[in-house]
Amino acid sequence: MTSTLEQQATELRERIAAEVPWRTVVWDDPVNLMSYVSYVFRTYFGYPREKAERLMLQVHTEGRAVVATGNREAMERHVEAMHGYGLQATVSRAES
Amino acid sequence: MIVAGRSGGEGVRLVLESEEAMLLSELADQVDSVLLLGEADDPALGRLLPNAYPDDMSASHEFARYTRDSLVDGKRQAAQRVRDATAVESAGDGVVQIELDQSEAWGWLTFLTDLRLILAERVGIIEEGEDTADETRDDYLRAAYEWAGFVQGSMLEVLDPTDS
Repeated sequence: MTSTLEQQATELRERIAAEVPWRTVVWDDPVNLMSYVSYVFRTYFGYPREKAERLMLQVHTEGRAVVATGNREAMERHVEAMHGYGLQATVSRAES
Repeated sequence: MIVAGRSGGEGVRLVLESEEAMLLSELADQVDSVLLLGEADDPALGRLLPNAYPDDMSASHEFARYTRDSLVDGKRQAAQRVRDATAVESAGDGVVQIELDQSEAWGWLTFLTDLRLILAERVGIIEEGEDTADETRDDYLRAAYEWAGFVQGSMLEVLDPTDS
């Protein structure tokens, strides 16, 4: 019983992972203001202030942050939008 | 320059000295030119139109093929709107007042970002806080870079007050 449930959970996780194998990554650059990056995350993605600030700080301190995951087409739309805002963004496949 | 809220509405109100307006108009025209000429070996373009797939050359070309024209169009339009809004006949005409709603303000914010990305490339701002610039050549550009950052920061304080 337990093992069946565990197996189902594992399968579910794998299926979700297979459905969202792409990422939008925003990279740190020395130019953009922190307040601007955070405002872009909130306005474009609709993220609450706290999440937008956390992602912005992650970009700033760690050099990059995954700001969205999903299918490839959606990630390419996000990256195009980020480029429109002047942010350095790339599409990458999530590591399995 | 004064950056303030608009009375009775969202958005931002800018009051520029005519000299500031002329400078901004000139800079906006230069941003438009960089995008129009689009010289492939101009590293500033790499900052405006980054590589979406640094590890996959063919995906990178595909992405650029599908997105580049509309990105360039959007950036050029933003620059042209700023150029036109700040166009003055001559210095000493007093002040230029500009009212921007939320969406127009976004055009200015993205233009100021593109302007700063280009200026940063020209003066060699590569690492945060690291000064590798040739100072004799770049004093004017560096001042413009700092000024554009000040204007953008001031606009953000109005559009997105953090203490509310």
